[in-house]
Amino acid sequence: MSASIAAAKSVNSKPAKAKKQKEPWKVSEIVCMVVTAILFCIVAYPVFYAFLQSFRSYSEITIDPMGMPTHYNLDNYVRLFQETDFLAATMNTVIITVVTLAILCVILPMAAYGVERIGGKLSGFFYLLFIAGLMIPFQVRMIPLVRMFDMMGLYSTLAAVILVHLGGAAGFGILLYCSFIKGVPIEVEEAASIDGAGKLRTFWQVVFPMLLPVTSAFIITNALTFWNDFFIPLVMLDSTSAGTINVAINRMVGLLTSQWELIYTGAIISLIPSIIIFAAFQRYFIKGMAVGAVKG
Amino acid sequence: MSTSLSVAATPSKTSHKSDSAAKSSTMSAVQRRNRWMMFFFILPMLVVFLAIVIIPSLQSIQLSFTDYDGISPTYNYVGVDNYHEIITSGRFWNAVKNTLILGIGSAFIINVISLVMALLLDRIHHFSGFFRTIVYLPSLVSAFIASTIWKYMLNYNFGAVNSILKKAGLEGWVHDWLGDSHIVVWVLLFLICFTLGGNTTLIYLSNLQSVPQELVEAAEVDGASGWQVFRHVTWPMLAGSVTVNFTLSLIGGWVIFDQIQVLTGGGPGFVSETMAFFIYRLGFGEYRAGFGSAAAVLLFIIVMITTVITNKYMRGREIQA
Repeated sequence: MSASIAAAKSVNSKPAKAKKQKEPWKVSEIVCMVVTAILFCIVAYPVFYAFLQSFRSYSEITIDPMGMPTHYNLDNYVRLFQETDFLAATMNTVIITVVTLAILCVILPMAAYGVERIGGKLSGFFYLLFIAGLMIPFQVRMIPLVRMFDMMGLYSTLAAVILVHLGGAAGFGILLYCSFIKGVPIEVEEAASIDGAGKLRTFWQVVFPMLLPVTSAFIITNALTFWNDFFIPLVMLDSTSAGTINVAINRMVGLLTSQWELIYTGAIISLIPSIIIFAAFQRYFIKGMAVGAVKG
Repeated sequence: MSTSLSVAATPSKTSHKSDSAAKSSTMSAVQRRNRWMMFFFILPMLVVFLAIVIIPSLQSIQLSFTDYDGISPTYNYVGVDNYHEIITSGRFWNAVKNTLILGIGSAFIINVISLVMALLLDRIHHFSGFFRTIVYLPSLVSAFIASTIWKYMLNYNFGAVNSILKKAGLEGWVHDWLGDSHIVVWVLLFLICFTLGGNTTLIYLSNLQSVPQELVEAAEVDGASGWQVFRHVTWPMLAGSVTVNFTLSLIGGWVIFDQIQVLTGGGPGFVSETMAFFIYRLGFGEYRAGFGSAAAVLLFIIVMITTVITNKYMRGREIQA
C-alpha cells in the first residue's frame, strides 16, 4: 500500500518538475514577488536602521536620526567589548545554548523512546504528563523556582538557566520525538535484540541514527530559542553574573542612557549567530519546522 | 495536541495466550525487565521535568495562599486573601484586559498576515527558495532585540519615527508613542504584529502546497471566482494548520513579556501591564511573591481553559470541513 503511494508520488513529481522548468512568467507572479519584497523591506527596516546607526556616534545619531554613516569602521564594535563586559555575556550565552542542547540531545530521545515503548497505559500517562508541560508557562512557576535555586545555592548561576531551559523544552521535545518514533519499525529493534544487543546498545546504535532528521530540526529551532531568550536569564541571573547578551543589552539601556550607538551595535552582534545558524541549516528550517508542527 | 491521545491506545502485546504456563511466565519476566529498562530511559528527563515544571507549579498554588515576600525564608498562610485582593484590584483587571487585547489580537492579526504571506509565496514559482528565505529572515530577530531597536526609534526627541514624520511635514502626527496612556497598548499591538510570520507562514505554506491541484482546477472550470475558490476549496483544507497556528500563537500571546519590559516597563503608571509582566513585577520588584503566585495560578487557569476551548472548537470545525 505505502509502496504504491510512494510510486504514485514519484510518477506525479516528475511531470511537475518538468513543468516547473518551462513555467512561463506571469504578471500575477511578478506582482506577488514585488509585494513580498516590499513587505520584507518594511519589516526588516528596523534592523537595517540599527545596522547603519552602529557605525555612527551618539552626537551624529541625535543631531540627525535619519542620517547615513559618514564612515564605516568597527570603532563601536571594539568599544562595546572594551567598555562593557559584553564578552563575558557572549560566552555565557554560548555556554547556555551549547550545554542545554548537548544534554537535551542525550536525554530527550531516550525519554521519548521509553515513553513510546514502555507500552500499555504507562505510555499514555507519561506522554500526557510531558505534554501538560506545554500548557504551563514559565511565569506560573518562576517564583517557586527562584526560591528553590536560592536554597540550593544555584541562583544566579548558568546551571539554573540551563536547568530551566531543559525542563521547558521537554514538552515540545517529547511531542516531536514521539510522533517521529511511531514511524520507526519495531522489527528492526527486535532483530537487533535477537542478535544479542542490549536495550541501551539497540537504542544508540539502531534507533538513534534513524532519529537524526528530527534531532537536527529540534536542535536548530531550539538553538534559536535558547539564544534569543530574554526572560529566563533576566529572572535567573542577578547583577553578580555578566548575564546573557540580551540581559547585558537590557542593563546597558538602563546604565548607558547616552550611548545609543553601543546598544544598536549590541543588537546587531546578537543577530550574527542566528543568521549563521539559519544560513547553515536553511533547508532543515523550512522543512523541519513545518513537519514537526503540523504533525502535533 | 489532542491527536496525542491516540498513543494511549497502542495495544500492548498479549498474544501468548496459547503458550504453556511456564513459557508465558518467562515471557512476562522479560517484558517486565524491558519495561523497567524503558522506565530508566525516561528517568533523567522525568526527574528534570518534575523538578523544573511540575513541582514548582504545585508550589505556586501553595505559595498563593501565603504572604511570602520572595526573600525571607518564612511565610504565613493567609487563606484566600490574595485571591480576594486580586479580583477586587483594578490593576489586575487592567492587566487581564491588556493580555486579552495583545494576546488574542496578535494571535488573530499574525495569523492573517501569515496566511496572506503564504498565499503570496504559493504563487511564486521562480526563485521560490529566495522568497521563502526573505520572508523567514525577520523572524530570526528576537522579540527582545526588535523591541530594543524600536524603543530608540520611537524616542520622542531623537527617534527615527518622529523625525520621519517631521520631515514629511506631518507635525500633527508626532506623538510620545510609548508615553501616551491612550495609545500605548495599541502601539504595543502594532509592534508585536510587525512581522511576516516566520514559522506560522511556513506551516500555512506547506499546508497550501498539499492542497490537491485538481480540486482548485475543477472549481475554476465550474466558473468559481478566485475568492470563491479560496473560501470554499482552499480555506476548508487549511483547517488543520489554522488550529495548530492559532493555538500556538495564543499560548505565546498569553505570556507576552519582553516587549512590555523593554518598551514601557508597564508604564505609564500601570497602563500597559500584561499578566506575565504583572506577576514578574509583584514577585521580583515589589516583594509580594505570595500575591504574585495567586496571579500566576489565575494565569495558568486562563491559559488552560482557552487552549482547551480553542482546540475543541477548531477540531470540531476540522471534522465538519
